[in-house]
Amino acid sequence: MSTKVIDISINEVTKEFATGIFKKKLAVDKLTLDIPRGQIVGLLGANGSGKSTTIKMILGFLKPTHGQIFVCDQPAGTRQSRSLIGYLPENPRFQKFLRGEYILNYYGRLYGLGGKQLTQQTDHMLELVGLKHARAERVGGYIKGMTQRLAIAQALMNKPKLLIFDEPMSGLDPLGRMEIRDLIRAIHDGMPDTTIFFSTHILSDVEALCSSVALLKKGVLKTACEINQLMVQDGQFYSIVVTDLNQTLETKYRAEHGATTTSLGLSFNVESVDILTARLTEISRTGGTIVSVNTQRRGLEEILFSDRKYENFQFPRQAAGGA
Amino acid sequence: MTNSLRIAWVAIQELLHEKVSYLLIGFALFSLGMSLVFGQMTYGEQAKLTLDFMLGATQISMLLFAIFMGISLFQKELSMGSISMILSKPISRASFLLGKYLGQVCMQFLITWMMGLMTCLFCLRFGTGSFSAAAVFQTVTLIAWEAAIITAVTYAFAVNSGAVVTSLGAASIFFIGHGRDTVSSNLRETSDLILWNSAKTVLPDLEIFNMKALASYSQSIEWNEFFLASCYGTVCVAFYLALAVLFFSRRDIAT
Repeated sequence: MSTKVIDISINEVTKEFATGIFKKKLAVDKLTLDIPRGQIVGLLGANGSGKSTTIKMILGFLKPTHGQIFVCDQPAGTRQSRSLIGYLPENPRFQKFLRGEYILNYYGRLYGLGGKQLTQQTDHMLELVGLKHARAERVGGYIKGMTQRLAIAQALMNKPKLLIFDEPMSGLDPLGRMEIRDLIRAIHDGMPDTTIFFSTHILSDVEALCSSVALLKKGVLKTACEINQLMVQDGQFYSIVVTDLNQTLETKYRAEHGATTTSLGLSFNVESVDILTARLTEISRTGGTIVSVNTQRRGLEEILFSDRKYENFQFPRQAAGGA
Repeated sequence: MTNSLRIAWVAIQELLHEKVSYLLIGFALFSLGMSLVFGQMTYGEQAKLTLDFMLGATQISMLLFAIFMGISLFQKELSMGSISMILSKPISRASFLLGKYLGQVCMQFLITWMMGLMTCLFCLRFGTGSFSAAAVFQTVTLIAWEAAIITAVTYAFAVNSGAVVTSLGAASIFFIGHGRDTVSSNLRETSDLILWNSAKTVLPDLEIFNMKALASYSQSIEWNEFFLASCYGTVCVAFYLALAVLFFSRRDIAT
């Protein structure tokens, strides 16, 4: 991972907001995170966990109280760094009287596009987001999903190296969410070198889209790694059902593994292959009957929001995205 | 600068679609109409009084337009969050602010001149007595300059505060700007005078732009005076816009 190009480098960033003359609220605390190029990275966290604050610091809307942020080696907030970014805010809104095509032209021009290049890019984006039929309509008549797609299109006008989406699926119905998910996938397939960094509190979106995930809790980074790695390491467990077990072992398994009696026998879960092997040996030796052993997978939600080892997890600097 | 012009053009379209702007233009027309009625109630001085009322109505309308449209144009972007889409592009905050300002001020000049034209037409149709189109033009243009300064003041407040503080602040600057001499003549204490004289250096003298009384007597000012007043207006606008840009560049945008 250390050899990969880093698109966003966040170094020991802290952000405090003044809430009174002498009062301050800590929104982000010593956040250190590297986002490698070409990945879809999800920034997860509950409301108020510091996701939007982090994104706004990357864009330069908010200045960090301490620490530094670099976007493609440019200090965050500079015009050079912003020329490389496409941004979709949470709940994007446009002036209702403007037409879809005009909006794309307008934002394209703000990126410095012009002439044929602008026309082509506008056409291409309208096609990509499926708004070609509504190009001449005023956005006041667009439904929420259409506005969201138009907002994604404006973020893509400059063919950005880095796409930042703040809660892209927020407020959409299931169909709208699916459309946006598909669109993000299509963008990633069409622009594989573009990093997509998005915040959300919807885990299923992260599970479906992201290659890596970073979890924020009350402004502190709890974990950051590749989803596959997370699922293999912590998502897998083994479910065992046994019968004819002696009383000593049954008591032990009830105490250690929370074993419960089911219609098939005594059922319990173990976390690792080592424990599984030990338990199976134990059961066979004492004359128990193994009814079934199944490999199971936890959902991402269960892994990330379980209170276990991540509570005090200190994220190693180069491990973002799963190093 | 081209980005500012693009933003200005969208701001002009926004103002054209803004309900409040219709309301203010409606108010301006109503005021002009009322001025005409009041002017006709007098004997022998219709043209003078009509002109006096109409120019007064133009000034008040433009003051309200400058403050409320300034707040609407700028703070609506903040509250809607559309500002974040614009500022995520490679443009400076100064360009954004300047664009909004230019759009609004262009509209203000246009509306003021239209009101000046209406005033002239009313005076020609209903007025009796002398009337100078050049004086009306000079007066409404200076009213537009005054409105441009108040707009810049409004922006300087709006980048840091809410709608109420902004409108109160801008209105206060307007009234103080017209009452500088009154305040100066009423201060006796040396310490008050020192304080007031310091404050005066950053407060615009809006009486420079007030030639309504002259215009109602059909008297225009010398064109070089008119030009100097416009230059003074430019300096004031530059000062308050620079303040607005300074505050805006330093502030966090949390929306």
